[in-house]
Amino acid sequence: MSAISAILYREGKIRATNYTFLFWDLFYPLGYLLVFGVGVNEAMGGAFPSGPVDYNSFFLAGVLGMASFGIAANTSWTFFLDRDNGIFYEMLTYPMTRAEYLLGKVLFNIGIALFQAAITVALAAALLGVHIRWDLLPLLTLAVVIGTAGWFYFYAIFALKIRRNDIFNTVTSIFYFAFLFASSMFYPLEPLPAWFRITALANPITWQVDVLRYTAIGLGNPAQIVSEAAAFLLFTLGSYAYAVRSLDQQE
Amino acid sequence: MSEYAIEVENLVKVYHPGRRNEVRAVEGMSFRVPRGEIFGLLGPNGAGKTTILKMLNTLIHPTSGRARVLGCDVSEQPLEVRRRITVVIQETAVEMFLDARDNLLTFARFHGLSPAEARRRADVVLERFNLHSEANKKVQDLSGGYRRRVQVAKAFMVDTPVVFLDEFSTGMDPILKRAVMGYLREEAARDRTIILTTQVLSEAEELCDDILIMNKGREVARGDLHTLKLLSQGVYEVTITFEELPAAIEAYLASLELMRMEIHQTTVEVALKAEETRVLELVAELAKKGRVLRVEIGGASLEDIFVELMKEK
Repeated sequence: MSAISAILYREGKIRATNYTFLFWDLFYPLGYLLVFGVGVNEAMGGAFPSGPVDYNSFFLAGVLGMASFGIAANTSWTFFLDRDNGIFYEMLTYPMTRAEYLLGKVLFNIGIALFQAAITVALAAALLGVHIRWDLLPLLTLAVVIGTAGWFYFYAIFALKIRRNDIFNTVTSIFYFAFLFASSMFYPLEPLPAWFRITALANPITWQVDVLRYTAIGLGNPAQIVSEAAAFLLFTLGSYAYAVRSLDQQE
Repeated sequence: MSEYAIEVENLVKVYHPGRRNEVRAVEGMSFRVPRGEIFGLLGPNGAGKTTILKMLNTLIHPTSGRARVLGCDVSEQPLEVRRRITVVIQETAVEMFLDARDNLLTFARFHGLSPAEARRRADVVLERFNLHSEANKKVQDLSGGYRRRVQVAKAFMVDTPVVFLDEFSTGMDPILKRAVMGYLREEAARDRTIILTTQVLSEAEELCDDILIMNKGREVARGDLHTLKLLSQGVYEVTITFEELPAAIEAYLASLELMRMEIHQTTVEVALKAEETRVLELVAELAKKGRVLRVEIGGASLEDIFVELMKEK
């Protein structure tokens, strides 16, 4: 436990050295919602083919999913920074297991993600009139926690396996494009071609965003949401196991 | 608990086994280090020193063989090993975004020190490493020498019984280096075991109770300085200071079979393996070439022994 608290202390200290880190950590997704979301909402004049909600409401879950994804991508980049600064290898000689190291890092990021989500959801309700399903808030919280952990472990695998910054940058750019756009993050899948829908349904971002959407505003088919939640949980556990293994194989 | 701080038996490390780029970094090394000793691992680049340290630090797994730190197996009980060690790795390893003090405090936190104790020790260590004026500066704003200083200072924040130092003096100024060597001796006197690798042989000569010289993953020689010097009997170091450096002395020396030759201003320093009479003849020949102010004939230094052993192998 002391190892995990030491990691939280370290990550907190590093964040506190630069308040712009904190600002971006906490308000970046909200900015996306208020700029991109409101822009699209107004441009469409409310005529949005997603059933009973407007684009602002629809996009809220997308923003929460994007936040988990973005936090994971940024944190994985810190593996490179730590490796360049040598501290990564020194830390691996500290009295903690590899699993504790990853757990400490993920807990810190979950904390940030929960702050982000709280601010985003509260202001979406207050400023944009999004009807939040407050009764599902514990499930929404759980979805944010598992979503952040899943993407963190997934990205950690690549950050630990890939040694060159340029290759890692290319991989993250491809991931951003493929995962975010081939998903239900920005648009509903129903009007899209079959090949696109199939691709999007195989995308873990879709699983996460659909769960977030259901738990945030109640939109979605509960049976499908349960299966998507189970699939994302498996994705998270698999990524965790492989990330720990990758860390253990560092040479 | 084991009487040895380190026990290594038939340790082998092969990188990328079975592939085209396979590297056999360590080939069946065995040695033991008693507690409270300063033990030096020496060898040329690529000898396998850092690989051995990485296995002992639990950073990498041995391919075969066993290694134990204070009786704990590095493969089977890595966490127990990590609880007993402090490591200064070869590369600079610091928290760039944190200041020097926070680097020490964060390190102490990982090693389970209470905040009050960590702050107390940080003050002492900052003073010892002459880092007080830089204590509140972010490490990314410090020079390479200061960064290394912060890194090595961390090893003195905690009392782990074993300390590994991989080329600790890289980038350090001579005054600090001397001071750190003194601190290391103090730590060894407190029964901490210090395992170090270095390319600076005078450092090992001054510090180490026991030295293992290795090359290409294998042991070449082992013992204290006296034992190693016996391996190299017949090697002499001659230092002659002239009033003025004789013309063409360099060409003359180059024509001889010397192990080493250095000229600093008017001083000529050579190492050679020869009979005692031949050494005296050489001194006489050199004395004919110019007015001599000082002559010194001594036994081999660790550097000479090292060069000699590397040639033999």
